[in-house]
Amino acid sequence: MENRPFLRSALAFYTALFIGFLYAPFVVLGILSFQAGPEGGPQFPITEWSTYWYEHIFGLTPPSRIAPLPIGEAMIRSLTLAFMTMVTSTVLGTMTAQAFRRRFKGSGFVFYLVVLGMIVPGVLVGLGLALVANNLGISRAWWGTAYVAHVLYTFPFAFLVMLAIFNRFDRSVEEAAWSLGVTPMRTFRKVTFPLIFPGVLSSMLFAFTLSYDEFPRTLFAAGADLTLPLAIYGTFSVEIHPNIFAFGVLTTLFSFSILAVYGILMSLSVRRAKKAAIQEDIQ
Amino acid sequence: MDASRGNDVLPESATAEEGVKTESGGGDSSARRITAMLIAPGTIWMLLFLVVPMLMMVYVSFWTQKTFSIEPTLTVKSWVAFFSSETYFAALLRTIKIWLIVLATTFALGYPTALFIGLFIKNKTVQTIVLVLCVVPFWTSFLIRVLAWRPMLGKEGAVNIVLEKLGLIAEPIEVLLFTEFSVVVGMTQIYVVFMVGPIAFMLSRIDPSLIEAARDLGAGTWRIFRTIIFPLSLPGVVVGAIFVSVMVLGEFATSAALSGRKVNLLGNIIVTQVGSLKWAFAAVAGVILTAVMAIVVAVLLRFVDLRKEL
Repeated sequence: MENRPFLRSALAFYTALFIGFLYAPFVVLGILSFQAGPEGGPQFPITEWSTYWYEHIFGLTPPSRIAPLPIGEAMIRSLTLAFMTMVTSTVLGTMTAQAFRRRFKGSGFVFYLVVLGMIVPGVLVGLGLALVANNLGISRAWWGTAYVAHVLYTFPFAFLVMLAIFNRFDRSVEEAAWSLGVTPMRTFRKVTFPLIFPGVLSSMLFAFTLSYDEFPRTLFAAGADLTLPLAIYGTFSVEIHPNIFAFGVLTTLFSFSILAVYGILMSLSVRRAKKAAIQEDIQ
Repeated sequence: MDASRGNDVLPESATAEEGVKTESGGGDSSARRITAMLIAPGTIWMLLFLVVPMLMMVYVSFWTQKTFSIEPTLTVKSWVAFFSSETYFAALLRTIKIWLIVLATTFALGYPTALFIGLFIKNKTVQTIVLVLCVVPFWTSFLIRVLAWRPMLGKEGAVNIVLEKLGLIAEPIEVLLFTEFSVVVGMTQIYVVFMVGPIAFMLSRIDPSLIEAARDLGAGTWRIFRTIIFPLSLPGVVVGAIFVSVMVLGEFATSAALSGRKVNLLGNIIVTQVGSLKWAFAAVAGVILTAVMAIVVAVLLRFVDLRKEL
């Protein structure tokens, strides 16, 4: 197929357009976030370039008829929740995947039960949890019902990632350590963990970003104190202003910096693994 | 795998008569205990917080709905109300319609890109870079992604401005935003990456010598595509379709934000019912949504063995 130059360039051109389609809304959103304020609306043309709406988010502008985005506390809640979810689902995912390294009765059932968590639509998960909580007289809260719902969603991702990692590496390495009399705890720390580290890192990335941005599960499960996506959703129903665009740019930059940290840690671990492999070769 | 299985079976018979734990004999039962301990927390979490709530939803759908509360007196009233109401039944049909359209658009827009990434880019690094470029928007806030379409499609939006500048239209097109069209566009952009990924993955696994052989035997490009490439990419298409289906069927945020609440899907019905404390009614809509999804996924899974492909 690759020796069809016309088809190749046509498809390359199409792919470029496709990527343009994926990114165009962000570009437009980014441009409009520099709209003049407070009179400028959320559309073209740009009356005057300014950083007014960015200042508006941080409360640095004089009070106007446009209320500041209600994101301060919601942001802290969302970050805390994402951290809690990340730790829980990575631990659960690693444990469950570790169990799958040997065959056991009912493994098919457990596999599908866990995967169900990422398949069932969020709105149903939220509804179900809300019904149960209401009937038991438990009040819904972001650190309770919503936290539980988030783990339901991110744990399957961590599980699948760790399953792929465990499938790839040879258990004879660990057995060698055990047979040499190394304690299981030390083996895990010195042998297993470095091998599965890329998987753990990926699970953490998935869990944190998915939870931080989670909306449908949280809607019914969060109770009175809103998380960040819920606070943002609340502003949709009223008139929108470019401040939400400026916020979009900032939160996108935040996501990208998490991705960057992940990329750096990942390449560091790959490089260390390569170095170790070379050293072994020399010896 | 087989060797470890053999190990699992042997000590069991050795220790069967005595419960005494010895260093060698305890291997199997303690290994099994470790397995049980490892899977218990995750399994209990899923059962308690996912399966029980889903069963609760089915149960509550038969409860009696009072004005602002529900009572555990069993009735089918909510079910009858759902199917006899024009609005709600229409929402079910609209959900299915939007789902089919988005499935078609994600496939049609995604397949050529997957073809290019999986088959035409031979360099693995470049392949990864292009794939990452497609996935990156997925890491941005879902709601912001939806919202970004408003200044794109609005009456004074970017698309209308560009079309006017090009002289293609004299008047701005108004039906771009707050219609089914904008909902489909928004969903396509968000979910198309789930179609591209699995298809590109399957395509990149095709042995190039297979295509070479076909070409040597005189097959044309179209014929190679039709008889080799497309059939081999089908598992990817099915996996992509499952991803897109489960996400689109449960959608409500995109339709709420991009249709001006004019396009009501089953998900939107659930949200409005919960908003007015009609829990039993929301539960009915939830059960119907679950049933639709189960049917769709079951049908799609008939075409592919998911555990084998992963």
